Formats: sequence, structure tokens, C-alpha cells
Amino acid sequence: MIKILKKHYEIEEKGERLFKIYIKKEDLLKTIDFISLSSNFMTLSQISCADWIEDEIFTLNYILTTEKRDKNLMVETNIPRIESKLPTLLNIFPQAEVMERDLHEMYGIDFIGNHTLYDFALEDWKEIPPLRREFDTLKYVNEQFDFRAGREDNKDVKAEIKRRRAEAKRLKNAKK
Amino acid sequence: MQKNRELIKIFHGPQHPGITGNMSIELDLLGETIKGAKTHVGYLHRGFEKLVERRTIIQAFTIVCRICVPEPDPNEENFARAIENLAGIEISEKAKYIRTMVLEMARLSSLMLWMGGQSGSIGLGTIGQWSIYDRDLILDLFEELTGGRVYHMYIYPGGVRRELPDGFLGRLSQLLDHLEKRLPLYDNVFFENSTFKKRAIGVGVVNRDEALRNGYVGQVLRGCGIKRDVRRDNPYLVYEKLDFEIPTFDGCDVYARAMVRRQEIRESIKILRQVIEQMPTEGAIMQKIPKHRKFKIPKDDTFVAVESARGEYGFYMAGDGTEQIRRMQVKGPSLIHGFTLLENLLVDEELSNVALIMNSLGICPPEIER
Repeated sequence: MIKILKKHYEIEEKGERLFKIYIKKEDLLKTIDFISLSSNFMTLSQISCADWIEDEIFTLNYILTTEKRDKNLMVETNIPRIESKLPTLLNIFPQAEVMERDLHEMYGIDFIGNHTLYDFALEDWKEIPPLRREFDTLKYVNEQFDFRAGREDNKDVKAEIKRRRAEAKRLKNAKK
Repeated sequence: MQKNRELIKIFHGPQHPGITGNMSIELDLLGETIKGAKTHVGYLHRGFEKLVERRTIIQAFTIVCRICVPEPDPNEENFARAIENLAGIEISEKAKYIRTMVLEMARLSSLMLWMGGQSGSIGLGTIGQWSIYDRDLILDLFEELTGGRVYHMYIYPGGVRRELPDGFLGRLSQLLDHLEKRLPLYDNVFFENSTFKKRAIGVGVVNRDEALRNGYVGQVLRGCGIKRDVRRDNPYLVYEKLDFEIPTFDGCDVYARAMVRRQEIRESIKILRQVIEQMPTEGAIMQKIPKHRKFKIPKDDTFVAVESARGEYGFYMAGDGTEQIRRMQVKGPSLIHGFTLLENLLVDEELSNVALIMNSLGICPPEIER
């Protein structure tokens, strides 16, 4: 099975049962179609995405699994962070619909051909897609929510640790 | 309503005793028959995957177990193993055995909880009270071992955090004796109960070919007669050394999935007995790892998976050479089962079967909205 794929792709062996190939985004559809039909990697287990903001790219890994569920193949492709688009895999794997909807909401990636890219876990979200690196969770929380009454004397933990250490050191020196 | 043969729309959940967590299913009904179903999530989104990206390993470790409430330990194991893979850490034999023990105790605990939910979904509330009592006995041991009843924070990259308490394996063995004595009781009141059989046989029938093609996992596959289990197919920890069966049933329906779970409780007890017998008496429980502020994860990625009590449960993880994880993405059974499968399975079913079917698929909404 892996031998068949080795004829067509350069395969990285990440473990005894985990393999990886790298492809261009233009080749995604035909590659996944080819692999799912010609090899035993017949189902889609996960579509994962990582944001490499310093390189201005998203790295997507389509994790395919064998019929026996004994090996996994990661098909990796990079897309630009700006106007990020990829074709949908809906026509090959029905489960891609919900995975793409999730990634659309969290990263703002458009999956061309998937017409159900509406709200998933967030409702009426107007901000930057939250799993993009530039989305600042703490800033968002501070802007959107008020702290419960009774927490006005909250202290910054790091500053407080630093202050206490300095105080302990000062007392120790004073004793000497 | 029925007179006009018009569809009405109702929301099953998120506040509904038959929903396994905070999730809602939008149903189009023709009388009592479901003509369309759409899953809605978002009632419990805590943003764990985002939070993890801004924390060091020891900080992230304390929240990953919270991704799935009924079964937190597979999250800990995936998190630890993904980091170990990336950082090139090999854990000791003893730590592998202890982790296997924890995961099997978690499986038993989760299956007991499932029994409570499934029986409750058809009005057999007493069974739930019994099985939750038995689950509590398992949680007692978890408390003794880890300090926590539900969330354990015990499996850490490099091994496990505490040595087994004196006499722990003996107490575990006694608990297994107790549970084994209880199993015929559960058979009588639940699995062989004519009410349950009438309600479950022929309901929520999954197409066998679709089950493989669409990536369904766990009891959904095994309830279709397909023998798939990560512990056997892609073994981890010490499962290769243990003797156990992968139970399958051919019905493809709610009853077949329940019978798979019934047998899995027995197999889990069998595994735990072997672990107790084979547990190494000596050896480190934790490898030497860098101090947490200096624990850097190389720039690479990996995918790891375990067989949770509900099916294959995986983590994709990418490191970027710093102390923080660049990306951790959870792949649980619930995303595909809760959307791709459930939405189709409910069509033409009766309204009263919604909770029954949902429970049988092992859907855990917190794990969808990680």
C-alpha cells in the first residue's frame, strides 16, 4: 500500500504507522482522490490546521486512515493566510463537511464548494477568526466582559510573585 | 398539526435530560416522525485549543483533561504521548503499565456512566443509580491514586506523576471482584430487559459500508460487526502484551452497540487483572525531563490516538521550537458521530428515540467544542 504511494510521492515516515506527504494546494483534490481510490487509506480522520503567522501561511494536514485503521497518512499542504481558499472534500468524504465548517469558523478558510460554512460553535462572530494567532483572547475578554464585583483588588500574579521574592530577599539581607 | 400534515420544528436540547451534554438538535417533525435533523453546538465552547497555545506544557496539561468530562484520561494520554513523540522521550515500562491501568479504569468508569445515561433515556432510572454508585467506587480509587475524582492530571509527558499507593493494586483487585459480581445483575435489569430490547432492536441502524467509509469509530463500527480497535490495530503502551478480545455484534442498531459495551466491560476487567499481575515492582515512574520553563518542543508535528470508551480519540500536535505548543487539535468520535451520522440516522425515526440513539453513539458535546 505504501509501496504504491511511494511510486508517486515522496513519503516521510514519521513513525512505524504514521506517514506524511507534502503537496501543493492546487493538487489537493486530485491527490486525495487518487490516494483514497488507489491505496488502502480510504477514510478521512481529521483535517488539522496550524497557523504559522511568521511565514504568512496556514499548514493543513488531511489525516487519512486505512480500512483496517492501522496506519495514518498525513497529507500536508500550505496556503497563504490572506484570502485562504481550498477546494472542499465533501464529494469524496461526507464527514469533511463539518470539519471544514469548523476550520472556516476558527481560521476563516474558505472551502470552495462547501455551501454549509455557517456558524458552528460561535454565534454571530464578528471578530477575527479566533484560532488565528493575531486574535488576542485576553484583550477580547477585557473588552467584552466586566469582572465580577469583589475582584477590584485582584493583583497581577507575576508582579506579585516578583514583589514577594524581593521582599523576602530584603528581609533576609536585613537579618544578616 | 397532524391533521394538516405540516412539519413543526422543535429543539431537542440543550436543556433536555436526554441530551448527553450541552448540545441541541433541531428537529423537523411530521407528527411524531422526524423528517429532518440538524445538530447545533456552541453552548459549552471554552476554547481549550486556543488557550493551550499560550501556555507552557505544565500549564496546558492542567486543562487538557477538561476537554471531555466523562472520560478525561484519553486526553492526558494523547497530550503526553504527542509531546513525548515530538521531544523524543521514551517512558519506562512501569509508567506504561500504570497508564494502561488508568486508561482501563477510565473506560470502566465511562461505560458505567454510559449505562446510566442509556437506561435513563428510556425511563429505566434505577439502573442509572446503581451504575453511578459503581462508578463512584472507581472514582474513589482515582482519588486515592491521583488526588482527583473526575479530572486526574496524572499522566504527564515523561511518565506519571505519582507512585502507586501501598496496597493499591489489592484494592483495585477487590473492586474488580465487586464489579464482576454486579455484572449479572446489570444483565438482568438492563441488557436482557425486554423493555430495552423492544426499544433498541432495529432502532438507529447504521449502514455498514458507510461506517467504514465515513470514519465512524468505536461501538458504532463494532456494532456493525467490524472489528476495529486502536488498542489492537495501532497498539500503544502495553496493549500488545495483553490478552483481550474485541467484541463485535452484527445488528448495526442501538442494541448491538449496547451489547458491544456490555462485553467491553468484561474485557476491560480482564485487562486490568492482567495489568495487576504484570505490573513491574521496580523502575522509575517518570523520566528525566527538562524543567517546565525550559521544556521546549521541537518544530515538528505528529498525530497520536487512543481507543477511548467511545472510540478512536486522537490529537494532532505541532511544536515550534519554543516552550509553547503551536497547535493542538482534538479529533474525538463526537464530531463525526454528532453531525455526519446523527443528522442522517434520526431521519424517519420517532421523536422518542432521539435520546436513545444519541446515547448509543457515544456523543460528548464538550469534546466537539474543545
